[in-house]
Amino acid sequence: MNLGSYVALSAALFLIGVFGALTRRNIIGILMAIELMFNAANINLAAFNRYLHPGGIIGQTLALFIISIAAAEVVVGLSLVLAIYRNTDTVYVEDYNLLKG
Amino acid sequence: MLEQIVFYSLAALITASALMVVTARNTVHSALFLGLCLAGVGGIFALLGADFLFAGQIMVYVGGIAVLIMFVVMLLGRASDLHLRQMNKQWAAALLVCAASLAGFWKIVRMAGGALATAPVKPTTGPLGLIMMGDYALPFELVSLVLTGALLGAIFFSRSEKSQ
Repeated sequence: MNLGSYVALSAALFLIGVFGALTRRNIIGILMAIELMFNAANINLAAFNRYLHPGGIIGQTLALFIISIAAAEVVVGLSLVLAIYRNTDTVYVEDYNLLKG
Repeated sequence: MLEQIVFYSLAALITASALMVVTARNTVHSALFLGLCLAGVGGIFALLGADFLFAGQIMVYVGGIAVLIMFVVMLLGRASDLHLRQMNKQWAAALLVCAASLAGFWKIVRMAGGALATAPVKPTTGPLGLIMMGDYALPFELVSLVLTGALLGAIFFSRSEKSQ
């Protein structure tokens, strides 16, 4: 296996995530697509660590930080979604227009 | 040979389930496929010799985030959502953005492509613990602060109006 296979896999996962974040109407679907993008970045970090810096662990350390930040992000994001749903009674982002004058 | 079989089956699992996450009409199915996709990414970590990342991925992502998203999916929405289209009208523009990015990514893949692994895989849990308590002690503590802030923020935003 060479590095290119892993980078190609992570590029595919990232692009699927971008497509999902751009096209989903459901706000939870957008959050899930963002999680896919986080995971693509983590695959890249672990793969570059293995192939370009063998014996080092800086890439894995960074990926570990990304996992914990992503956990914090999804917790706050989901509680915000719950609060918004309580106010607007919908999960579709095109109806979130309370700030529109 | 074995590595290639494992890699290609994991890659097929990850891309197929990620596509289902993005395109499934039923959000519950999306959340289930998200768990499958994250478990596949954990398998990729194991293949890359990142054993602690594999364990963390399974515990935090599959056991935590996917289950949390599942709960929220079940709390929100209504049954009529199953008959509505879940994709907005700009899907063609989104495909265009993805194709343009793919050209850039393809250059990176071509550039980085040829590198081969030189060292055998070694367990990294011990060195990761040492580096967290050594060079990266300050970011480690900052992350714990961020997690505490996220916990408080989640409680603050999700409490009901009556209890305020």
